[in-house]
Amino acid sequence: MPGPERSVADRLRRLRGQSGLAEAPARAPAAALPEQPSFSERVRRLMVGPQRARSKTGDQDELAEQLGAEPVAPGVLLVERRLGARLRHGRVLLKPEIADAGRASASLMELAWRGASPDAAPRPLLFLDTETSGLAGGTGTWAFLTGILIAEPETWVLRQYLLTSLDAEPAYLEAVGGELSAPAMLVSYNGRAFDAPLLTTRFRLAGRPDPFGELWHLDLLAPVRRAFGRVWSDCRLMSAESKLLAFAREDDLPGSAAPAAWLGWIQRGEMASLGGVLRHNRWDLLSLAGLVPVLGEAFEDPNSYGADPHAVARHHWAQGRLAQALRLLEAASGRLTDAGRLDLADLYRRQGRWTDCCAIWEGLATQGSQEALSALAKYHEHKRHNLGRALEYAEALAPSEERERRCQRLRKKLRGSG
Amino acid sequence: MTTSPASLNADSPQVLRLEARLAAKYRGRIAATRSTPARSAQWRDLPADLPPALAEALRNRGLERLYSHQREAWDLARVGRHLVVATPTASGKTLCYNLPVLESVLSGGRKALYLFPTKALAQDQVAELMELSRALSAAGGPGIKAFTFDGDTPGDARKAVRTRGDIVVSNPDMLHQAILPHHTKWAQFFEGLAYVVVDELHSYRGVFGSHVANVFRRLRRICRFYGVEPTFIFASATIANPAELAERLCGEPVEAILESGAPQGERHLLLWNPPVINPDLGIRASARSQTTRIARMAAKVGLKAIVFARSRLMVEVITKYLKDVFDHDPRRPARVLAYRGGYLPSERRRGEQAMRAGKVDLVVATSALELGVDIGSLDVAILNGYPGTVAATLQRLGRAGRRLRPSLGVLVATTDPLDQFLIRHPEMLLGASPEHARIHPDQLLILLEHVRCAAFELPFRDGDAFGGEDLGEMLSYLRDEGVLQHQGDRWYWVADSYPANAVSLRSVAEGNFVVIDTTDGAQTIIAEVDYSSAPGTIYAGAIYMVQSQPYQVERLDWTGRKAFVTRTRADYYTDAIDYTRLKILDRFEGAVLGRGVAANGEVHLVRRYPGYKKIRYYSHDNIGYGNIDLPDQELHTTSVWWQAEPSALEAALPDRQQAIEGFLGAAYALHHVAALRAMAELHDLGRAVGDGQGTWFAVVGGDGRGQMRGPGNDALDPAEQDRFEPTLFLYDNYPGGVGLSAPLFDAAGRLVSDARDLVAGCSCAAGCPACVGPVLPGDEERALTPRQAALAVLELLLCREG
Repeated sequence: MPGPERSVADRLRRLRGQSGLAEAPARAPAAALPEQPSFSERVRRLMVGPQRARSKTGDQDELAEQLGAEPVAPGVLLVERRLGARLRHGRVLLKPEIADAGRASASLMELAWRGASPDAAPRPLLFLDTETSGLAGGTGTWAFLTGILIAEPETWVLRQYLLTSLDAEPAYLEAVGGELSAPAMLVSYNGRAFDAPLLTTRFRLAGRPDPFGELWHLDLLAPVRRAFGRVWSDCRLMSAESKLLAFAREDDLPGSAAPAAWLGWIQRGEMASLGGVLRHNRWDLLSLAGLVPVLGEAFEDPNSYGADPHAVARHHWAQGRLAQALRLLEAASGRLTDAGRLDLADLYRRQGRWTDCCAIWEGLATQGSQEALSALAKYHEHKRHNLGRALEYAEALAPSEERERRCQRLRKKLRGSG
Repeated sequence: MTTSPASLNADSPQVLRLEARLAAKYRGRIAATRSTPARSAQWRDLPADLPPALAEALRNRGLERLYSHQREAWDLARVGRHLVVATPTASGKTLCYNLPVLESVLSGGRKALYLFPTKALAQDQVAELMELSRALSAAGGPGIKAFTFDGDTPGDARKAVRTRGDIVVSNPDMLHQAILPHHTKWAQFFEGLAYVVVDELHSYRGVFGSHVANVFRRLRRICRFYGVEPTFIFASATIANPAELAERLCGEPVEAILESGAPQGERHLLLWNPPVINPDLGIRASARSQTTRIARMAAKVGLKAIVFARSRLMVEVITKYLKDVFDHDPRRPARVLAYRGGYLPSERRRGEQAMRAGKVDLVVATSALELGVDIGSLDVAILNGYPGTVAATLQRLGRAGRRLRPSLGVLVATTDPLDQFLIRHPEMLLGASPEHARIHPDQLLILLEHVRCAAFELPFRDGDAFGGEDLGEMLSYLRDEGVLQHQGDRWYWVADSYPANAVSLRSVAEGNFVVIDTTDGAQTIIAEVDYSSAPGTIYAGAIYMVQSQPYQVERLDWTGRKAFVTRTRADYYTDAIDYTRLKILDRFEGAVLGRGVAANGEVHLVRRYPGYKKIRYYSHDNIGYGNIDLPDQELHTTSVWWQAEPSALEAALPDRQQAIEGFLGAAYALHHVAALRAMAELHDLGRAVGDGQGTWFAVVGGDGRGQMRGPGNDALDPAEQDRFEPTLFLYDNYPGGVGLSAPLFDAAGRLVSDARDLVAGCSCAAGCPACVGPVLPGDEERALTPRQAALAVLELLLCREG
């Protein structure tokens, strides 16, 4: 073992250069190596003396004043705002009624997670968005800002909890947990995969009960992906708000800059960027609120919102609303993909509208659609009992076992009848 | 003793008749033999407190009783003692841990974590547990849920593994990178964790073992957070120190179960040296030719045999030769099967099933089969070359031997120094003293990386401990790096990063190089080379071998950590010329040894690779040189070194040039025998000859002769030096050392005597790659051959009785 006079830090510094961790600059020749006590001495002094934090601690009061925040506990700031009932966000008027789940679109509610045994009573919407110290996840990632938007009669209430001191996390979680204690339906953007698990981790680390187990959760990423996944190049919240709400952020601090902004405060007491983080979080929450009615409308009328009519129709179909699905597909019939046209034909078939149905199939059959050819073969065999036509369609199918079986059966039938 | 042919008759077991035939026909090739008599089973009753459904399931599978070691394991585990079971291959180790684990699942609803060093072994284990689960269900008990959790587990299945698995079967890398940093997601699992099972303990040695010991420190820290203290159960192949290794890994006292109660048939072992075909050059027939011959003889008399080869290429070559004999008719099922890494899992599963069903007569395998994959039992094990450690040899030989039937093992030596040494020192192997597996969990760089990971997982508190170094100092270091913040009495993680991703358990530090095959315009990663061995192996121009396929390095991107290679058919390999300058920084301990001293301490090393030699295969002729343009490498590590008394050296070797060559040859031999003793790979150790002050060092120069060089690599004349104290170093080739030097110092006398025996016993004339390293043509005519010079040096350092 190396002599005791050499500190861990000194030894590490020497080893790290040799192990490829850092490209060491030209080093002193071997003869000059032995005693370079300055660094280790410095570390030792730091260790024994009273706590001489190298990092600069920021002034909490000054930060609170700058952000317009109130301390709720040492190290936890709260920014609370009441936003008027006639709040405009992009082209949308944000009425507090949006948070009334009873008025929300059935389609959206169908895409929400409502626990193992959901009761029938609607729960009020609670919009939630966090900012974190990193995107890597794991237990070393902090959710340092939790923003919550709820409706009260005639007004919106925005509350943002900011952790300003690491050892204050228990108080911070207590405050956030309090917001989540009543039955509600969370509304987030990608929160099922990111915000909620991250906060769950923080609650578990602090030895507190996890409030997320009980809460219903509408993650708006799901309906956005459903309706726009195939028509937009990406489904980020920024894309959704700009396309659906016509909301453009000015001077936004990008979400990716949030970790550095907060770590700058924690490590060096820098407060300049934290206001930008709060504003970014507030815009996220307002966009969430704005998206709820607009997405609801987009599921009723996809064509007006540039949504994928086929995907939306399939949602209604899956929920048993065949007439609505048919109406949406008919309205979009000129722009449907082959799969969409086949679905439309299928809906016609179920209604016995054979003429409409065959028109679609025949159109697709001329392009060689196997599904259409097969459907037409069946139609002519079983509905029209026109075995000759049926065989023509069957023979047009690409070689397969199914084609052989069908053709053989039809030929046999034809011989029998002829 | 070999069974005498006279005592055999037509009723004797076929294995004994094969052995008798080999002995009669090839007496001169058999260097040594050993026989172990049969051993009967030591039975114990099933424990009375076994859950009834479990007892019933065992009985339904024909298990009415337990072997003594299985029962011992049960008794220890039930009272919460950590334990290690180190019994031979196929002695039923799995049941030693499965029984207490299943009991805790069935009776207490508890959980267990199983760790295997490879994914394939984990999958085998899950298959076995599923079988047990079905037997339990059939016996009226509840089933158990065992899942693998590895890099192949799909994202949507991970939640089910975390929340529903009774037994999660994974590997240390996943524990390190995926489970511990996300422990809150595993809260339910940790809260119920009763057992941690670590199989293949013997593979956790060196750098890997040192990392895993730290991963276990982190694991135990997380367990404490969830209020559990799981019992560790280790299973190991035969090594000298299973309990010590297990204790260092889990940080607590561990009980060892070393006596197997499983029955074993009579065992015979032959050490086989291929015949010399060129006495002048000391060249022997290839091991491969001998191996295939023995395998053919075994198969022809209806015995089932396994051949172990050291490389994947050799597996393919031997398989081809054997298939040419036995599988020339494609309409009949294959009798010969190759089994190695690199095959698809489904292909390997098919092979394992065919072996278990007894459909295969000859299996040719790499170490992929060394670890506990179940292939049923065989009659004969043939090792084409010494596997490198006694422990691995015993494990491979253990593949042969059906219960109560005799088995035969044959170790066929190659011309490598280690193999030839063993042939002349069969007691190293037959004396059954397997190596110590060493780890050094407090190696500073390794420790620091895991402190970093641990700090990410849970904040440290003032006064906490982690490993053997001062935790407060390390935490301060990390604070200065900006990843931790000290507030109140805690150290909080404050960086936007995920430290476990930057730490690989298989190396000391990051910065590994990837080797990229660019043949035919493709870009395929074919290997990784760790930072410290990169400059000596993947310089531009080097021939780099992967699975015995030679590749030529076209370009080395030093900063990008990439080597671009293309496939080649070169008939030579390359050997970097390595000018190593060592300076002793600190001497921990020393001892007089013969007419010299041995010591152990810290050294600073500067290594330069000015160029490389091209060496033709088989003849080992130098056929050319190339330049290497790389920065000097520095290493601060531990070393053991030897020095001869100057007057004695002068008396023995008056010519200093000869003394230098003698030291270089002695270093070559010592390096090889030391790797053997340290249970290390050859490249885990480095060797150097110099004066210890960094004023001169010795190398084999471009002309094939030893040369004395100054600090600037300038040639010096040994005769003109005032002081001449050649020092022979064997150093730990990892930054900071991974604990290899101290045991070498403890065995310093033994090493010299081993090296002397290696050189003295070699069948060459003047020196050869099997003893002191390649020599030049004509060396045998010199008055003092390189071999004699090396012997003279070793004799000086040799500790004689009296």
